[in-house]
Amino acid sequence: MIGMFVVLGVFLDDLLIKIPIDGIDYNTSKESFVLRKLNRFLLYYFFVDLIMRYFIQKLPALSVQPFLHLPIRKSKLIHYMLGKSFFSPMNLLHGLVFIPFMLELFSNLSVTESIGWSAGFVFMVYLNNFLLTYLKRTSDVDYKVYLSMLFGLVTIVTLDWCDLVDFQEVSATFFNAFFLQPITALVPLLIGLGFYLLNYKYLRANLYMNRLSKSKKSEITYVGAGVLSRFGVVGRLTELEFKFIWRNKRPRSVLLITILFLGYGLLVFPTDEYSGNYLMDILFSVIITGMFMLNYGQYLLGWEGMHFDHILTRKVSFKDYYMSKFMLFTIVSGAAMILSIPYAYFGWEILLVLFSVFLFNIGVGSHCTMFFGSLNPKKIDLSQGTVFNWQGVGAAQFLLIIPVMGLPLGLFGIGVIFGSPHLGVAIVGIAGLIGLIGTKLWISLLAKWLTAQRYKISSDFRSQ
Amino acid sequence: MEIRIKDLTKTYGAYTAVDVKELSVPSGESFGLVGNNGAGKTTLFRSILDLIEPETGSIQIGDFITKSAENWKDFTGSYLDENFIVGHLLPEEYFDFVASLHGMSQSDLELKLAEFETLFNGEIAGGKKLIRDLSKGNQKKVGIAAALLFDPAVLILDEPFANLDPSTQIRLKDLLKKLKEDKGVTLLISSHDLQHVTEVCERIVLLEKGQIINDIRTSPATLKDLEDYFAGVGKKEAEPIEK
Repeated sequence: MIGMFVVLGVFLDDLLIKIPIDGIDYNTSKESFVLRKLNRFLLYYFFVDLIMRYFIQKLPALSVQPFLHLPIRKSKLIHYMLGKSFFSPMNLLHGLVFIPFMLELFSNLSVTESIGWSAGFVFMVYLNNFLLTYLKRTSDVDYKVYLSMLFGLVTIVTLDWCDLVDFQEVSATFFNAFFLQPITALVPLLIGLGFYLLNYKYLRANLYMNRLSKSKKSEITYVGAGVLSRFGVVGRLTELEFKFIWRNKRPRSVLLITILFLGYGLLVFPTDEYSGNYLMDILFSVIITGMFMLNYGQYLLGWEGMHFDHILTRKVSFKDYYMSKFMLFTIVSGAAMILSIPYAYFGWEILLVLFSVFLFNIGVGSHCTMFFGSLNPKKIDLSQGTVFNWQGVGAAQFLLIIPVMGLPLGLFGIGVIFGSPHLGVAIVGIAGLIGLIGTKLWISLLAKWLTAQRYKISSDFRSQ
Repeated sequence: MEIRIKDLTKTYGAYTAVDVKELSVPSGESFGLVGNNGAGKTTLFRSILDLIEPETGSIQIGDFITKSAENWKDFTGSYLDENFIVGHLLPEEYFDFVASLHGMSQSDLELKLAEFETLFNGEIAGGKKLIRDLSKGNQKKVGIAAALLFDPAVLILDEPFANLDPSTQIRLKDLLKKLKEDKGVTLLISSHDLQHVTEVCERIVLLEKGQIINDIRTSPATLKDLEDYFAGVGKKEAEPIEK
C-alpha cells in the first residue's frame, strides 16, 4: 500500500497534465502550470484529510499516564504529548505522496518558490493535525459530527460543480500564494501554532486520567448460541470466531474490506480491455472470493495469541479447531460467491470462472492459508490501531501468496498450453474439488503438525 | 484423581526453572505450593497442564500422561492467567462455550452459575462488559468460575487470591474447602498469601530455585514456620524448616 502512494506521488504531475481545465494560463512553464492545477484541488484534499483524520487518527493521550505521578512538569508532558503527534502516520502519509512530487518540482522552480510552497503545504498538514486533535479532545467522538463533515464536503463539491461558488478558484488563490509570495506560507504556520496553543491550554486544565481517556466502552449485548451450534464444537468455535471478528477493530476492517472488494469485478469484467482474458478473470476471482481468507487467515493463530492457553487446556481437539477455521472460510467465501452471482450479467463464462476459483479457494487455498497462518505466528495485540499496523507480519504471510494466487494461475496456464482456456478453468476447478474431497485428511495433518508445534507456539505467545 | 510427577526438569538455557525428582498428589488432597518469585511455581503448573515441554520427566493426571493423551482435559479445571480466558466474549458467552464443551445443558449451567452468585457479588452475571474490559479481579473470578463450571476432579489455580477483594478471598476460601470436603476434588494452588494457603491446604510444598526444599503437613505451627523461612531468605543461607 505504501508503494502505491509513492507511485502516485511520482506520477502525480503526469496525471495532472492530462486533466483539462479552463481558465489557466497555459503559457506558464510546465511546472508552475502543474502546480497551479494541483493547487485548485488542495482545499478539497485538506478537507478530505480532516474527515479521514476524524475517523482514524488516535489521540496519544494515555501514553503520558505512567508519567503523571513522577516529578516531571506538566507542561513538559503536554509538549511531549503534542510533539508525539508530529509523527502520527496520518501526517507522514502526506509525505509519501508529496515528497517525490516536491523533488520533481524543485528541479524546475526557483529555490524560494519551492521552499515557500513546500513549507506552506507542510504547515497545512500540521494545521489540520492540531485542529483535529483539538476538535477531538474537546468534543465527544460522534457520528453526527462525522456525517455533518461529510455533508459539508458534498455541499461544497455540489456548489462547485454547479458553478455557483468557485471553490477551486479559492483554493488556487490560497495555495498559489505560497509560491508566488512565499511569505504567505507563514499564515498556516501561525494558525497551526494557534491550535497548538489551544490544545496546550485545554490539556493543561484537563490533565487527569479520567478526562484523558475518552473512550467509553460501549455496551455489548449477549449473543447466545446460534444456528452454527448445531454443528457441535466446530460450529461453536466458528461462532466465537465471528464474534471475535465483529468485536475487534482490526479483523472487522478485514471483513469490511472484503465486502468492498466484492465490487472489484465491476472495474474489471465489463471493460473491453480485459474481456475474454481469462487470466485476469481468474486473478480477480481469487481476490473476490478469497480476499477474506487471505487477509484474515494469514494471521490464523496470531489472532488468538491472547488466549492460546485457553485453547490448549480446554477440551478442544486441534482437528475441531482447524475444522472451525475451515468452516469460517467456507461460509465467508461462499457468501462472497453467492453475492457475486450477478456478475453473470457480463457473461456466463465469468460466473463459471468465479465458481471454479471459489472451489479452488476453499479446496486448496483454505488449507494452504491455515498452514501458513500457523507458521511462526506472532501474537497480535488487538488494542493497537489498524492503520500501518505491521504486527504479525512475517515471511509466511508473503509466502502464502504463492499457493493462493500463483497456483490457480499456474494451473490455468497448464490448461492453456495443453488445450484451451476452458480446459485451464476446468483444471482449476477440479484441483479445488480434489482438495475439497481430501479436507479431512488435510485437517488431520494440520492438527498433527500443530500438536508437535504447540509448546513452541504457546511459549512464543507468552513471551511476546 | 491422582497427580504424579517423575524426574521433571525444565531449563531455560543455563537456568533451571524446575527440577522435581518425584512428587505425587493423591486423589482428593488439597495441595499448596509456596515460594518466592522465580521459584518455579507457575512453570510447574504449566508443565502439569502440558503447556510447556519439559526436558525430562513424565507427568500423569489420573491414568493419563498429559503429554500424549487429551482425556485429562475432561476433568481438569485450571486457571493460571488471562491467557486462559477469551477476552472478546461476555462472561456469560464464555461460560456457555465452556459448558457446551463438557456437554452441559443450559439448566445445568444456570444451576452451577447460581452457586457462584456470592462469589461474583453481582458484578459478573448480566453485565454488558466484555471479559477484557473487566478489572483484573473480576477477570480472575470469571477464570476460576469457568474452571469450576463442569465439576472437575482436579483443580489447578495459580495465585487464586491475588487481586481479589477481601470478601471474595474469604468466599473463595470457603468454596475451595467445600469442594475438597464434599466432592473430593484434588486441589493444587499456589499462593504468596501464606495465611490463605495454610488455611486451605492440608499439605504445603516449599519451592526454591525449582527444587522442593520442604514438604509439610499443615499444622497450627506451619504458618509461623513459613513466615520465619521467608523472612530469612536472602539474609543468610536459608535453612529448611524442621518438620
